[in-house]
Order: sequence, then structure tokens, then C-alpha cells
Amino acid sequence: MVRLKRFIQQVLFLEILSGMAATFKHLFVRPITIQYPHEKRVLPNGYRGFIALLRYDDGTEKCVGCDLCEAACPSRVITVISAEVEGQPLKRYAKEYTMDMTRCVFCGLCVEACPVNALGMTKEYEYATYDKRNLKLNKEQLLTLGDRAFPVRETRVEFQHPHAAFFNVAHRGYPAK
Amino acid sequence: MIDIALNLIVVLVTIGVVMVTVLLHVAYLTYFERKILGWMQDRMGPMEVGYHGLLQPIADGLKLFFKEDIVPAQANKIIFTLAPILVLVPALIGFAVIPFGRDSIHIFGLTFRPYVTDINIGILYILAFASIGAYGVLWGGWASNNKYSLLGGLRSAAQVISYELSLGLAIVGVLLMAGSLSLVKITEAQGGGLLHWFILPQFVAFVIYLISAIAETNRLPFDLPEAESELVAGFFTEYSGMRFAFFFLAEYANMILVSCIATILFLGGWHAPFEALGFIPPVLWFVVKVYFFLFFYIWIRGTLPRLRYDQLMMFGWKVMIPLALANILVTSAVLYFVRV
Repeated sequence: MVRLKRFIQQVLFLEILSGMAATFKHLFVRPITIQYPHEKRVLPNGYRGFIALLRYDDGTEKCVGCDLCEAACPSRVITVISAEVEGQPLKRYAKEYTMDMTRCVFCGLCVEACPVNALGMTKEYEYATYDKRNLKLNKEQLLTLGDRAFPVRETRVEFQHPHAAFFNVAHRGYPAK
Repeated sequence: MIDIALNLIVVLVTIGVVMVTVLLHVAYLTYFERKILGWMQDRMGPMEVGYHGLLQPIADGLKLFFKEDIVPAQANKIIFTLAPILVLVPALIGFAVIPFGRDSIHIFGLTFRPYVTDINIGILYILAFASIGAYGVLWGGWASNNKYSLLGGLRSAAQVISYELSLGLAIVGVLLMAGSLSLVKITEAQGGGLLHWFILPQFVAFVIYLISAIAETNRLPFDLPEAESELVAGFFTEYSGMRFAFFFLAEYANMILVSCIATILFLGGWHAPFEALGFIPPVLWFVVKVYFFLFFYIWIRGTLPRLRYDQLMMFGWKVMIPLALANILVTSAVLYFVRV
């Protein structure tokens, strides 16, 4: 009986027909394709894309040239050359700040390490280029990237005497002024 | 003298129209196939060139046309060059006897018929040329001087021979019922609606024909001659550019040809299924039926995996041919008793 049933199934191509029914059903399933260059995914918050330098609302750079990001970076992307602010011997800034993005692994440790929140991770991921030297970003490029990706800036708070502060920023949990 | 010249013009124009239409359909069949396969796999298919990728076949054609033409150093150059032509010409020449519609068109006192010619051995002519196409594949495989190509060519030869038998035998039932080898006469014998189509009395032959036709055109699940995962691309591994395009065109032209024959033999050609639907032009009915078969082939391709070689041969020789022979026996016996 079972053999007869199998024989009939084979003669009528029942298994092939059920397979064809499955493929036919999928003709009407909406494709999940995203037409990439034309439509883009909405990225989640906390996406780790290109790294950018940020500014305060009055346009001054946040970075104080402390080198902690360079120390934290596992793949030695960041090079900081620190310098004194002229006439304010206790204040420092980054004279040069280069990021070799060809080596970056987008771990975000530099952003974690920054004591003044001068670094931010943007949602930019389209950095294909014909010349990989273009991926070695200097301070200007990093700042423009930050201006583009973070239009809302943090307000700058002077909480101590200008000559007494190492960090020119209000820390979280630190009394303002 | 003027009569001959006018006749020549009529024939040439008909041939031109048929060729251009067929090649256009061949080009867009590739688009059709990619779209449907895409949808079946929850993808979109070509979307970039033109609206929803409508210009994709043109872009592909241009690309193939401008590609470098490479002939392998160790290849037999004459046969290597001849093989694509030998594959493409038989595929296109078969369309000469296909009746696409019912009505002739009269312009300037000239009569344009809906077929190039109506010879009384139409179906035999197509089968003969289909067999010649197998030589092209075999030559292409041999002349490339490449083990994968040779294996593909050999497989193709074995497969085409095995399945051409059952294909030819499946057709015999229809020929017995129609009483003619001419495709026009076969179409006319099926007039008068759905119930007169040969698909009903010849259903077994229809199924055998469908299966053998897939094997004849080397398409999935019988695409062993070009099995990518085993033979790179089979007999056209070494071909590129325009020569590759010839093989490609031939494959799709063969698909359309086989669908046209299936339409004429089993689905009543240009006849409408019901008398009430007779107001729709016969050519349209023909095209709709042909596209039904083309869709079916793509559907099969989207569903089934490739057969193993021994399964293919066993199925061809032990199942299809006995069935086709039995079908001929039953058909001829019934016809003998009905007609007498």
C-alpha cells in the first residue's frame, strides 16, 4: 500500500509540484532588498562609524591635547602633537591631530578615553576612495566631519579661573563655577 | 520578372520581421528570466539600467559586443570559430515554419503571411535542425582544448541524443491525430476551442514533450552540459565576447522555439480557448501561450536542482521512451478504431 502510494506520488510528480507551489508563492513575497545607493538603512544610535573631532557652541575646539586617545587606541590610528595655548600656560590644545583611518577598527576606545568628550562617532560609513592616502585625516578634516555630523554643540562653561584650569570644560558631576 | 521581385520582397520582409521579433524576444527573455528568478528568491532582479532595469538586455548586449575576442592558443581555430555559428543558425532557422497567427496582412497589393514558409514537413525540418545544433555544442567543446569543455560537449551530445528520441516519439501522437507534418495544418486541426486542443487526448505526450524539451535546450534541471559547479561553464568555458553571446542567444532562441512548437502541437497555436474570446487577435493568443511555456521553464529552473548524470540517462531511456512508445501504440490503436 505504501509502495503504491509512493508510486502514484512519483507518477504525478507530486513532490515537484509542491516545490513549484512554494516557489510560486515566493513570487508574491515582497523582496527585502534595500536598493543601496538610492535608499539607505536607518542606522541605530550608537553606530560606530567615522570618528570626528567636536567643537563647543562658540566654535572653540574641545580637544585639549591630552594624548589619552592615542594611548587608548589599540591599532595606533591616532597621532596627537600637543602644544600650549599662547599666553595661557595652563591650557593646552592639539597642534596636530591625525587619524590614519586605514588602520581604524572602529572600537570606540578613543571616544571612551577622552576626558572632555572631544571625540564623537559619526554614522558615516561610505569612505571608499581611489587613493588610500585620502583616508589619513588631519585636524581640519576631522573637525569638518564633526561639524557636519554633530550640528548640536555642547555649551562651553568656564568654571574656574582661566589660568587655573587644565581642562576647559565642565565635568559631569563637577560643580559649575 | 516583377512578380518574382515582389515575391522576393515579401519573403525578405517577412524574414526580417520574424528575425527581429525573435531576437528582441530573446533579448528580453533574459530580462524576464532574471526578474522572475529574482522574485522567486525574494530578490528584485535587475533594477539599475532604465526603469526597473528594462534596458538591461541592451546594456548586456553592448557589453558582450565590445568585449575582447579571445581564442585560446591551443584551440582549433576554425572549428572554434564555426561552433557558435553552427549553434545559433539552427536555433533561428527553425522559426521559418512557425505560424504566428491566422490572418495575412495586405499592403500595396502584397500579401504578407504570418509565417515565412509552410512546408509540408515542418516539424521534421525543425527536428533535423535541432539535431545539427548539437554538433555545434560538441564542436565547441572539442575545439576549446579544455577538459571541462570537452566533458560538457560529450554530455550534451549524449543528452541531446537520448532526449531527442522521446521528444520525437512524443510528437508522433500529435502527428497521428492531425494527419500532417505541416505546422499550419496541425494548428488548423485544433480549431474550435479548448476541447479540440491536443493537450487533452495527448496529455502523456505533452508531459513527455515538456520534459524532453527542457533537456533538449540544456536548461535546468537538465543543464549538465554547462553545470557550473562541476564543469565551470561546460562547452562554452573558453568562449567570450561575441562568440559567447552567440551561444547565449542560441540557448534562449531554442527555448522560444521549443515553446512555440509546444504551443502549436498541444495548445492549439493561435486559436482562442473559447469562441467568445475570438475578438482578441490570434497573434496575441500565440504570444500568451508561448510566454506561458517560457514562464514554466523559468519556474522549473527556480524550483529544481540539477539531476545526477545516471539519473538523467535512466529517466530518459527507462521512463520517457517506453512511455512515449506506449502513447504512440494507444493513440494509433484508438485512432484506427475511431476512424474506420
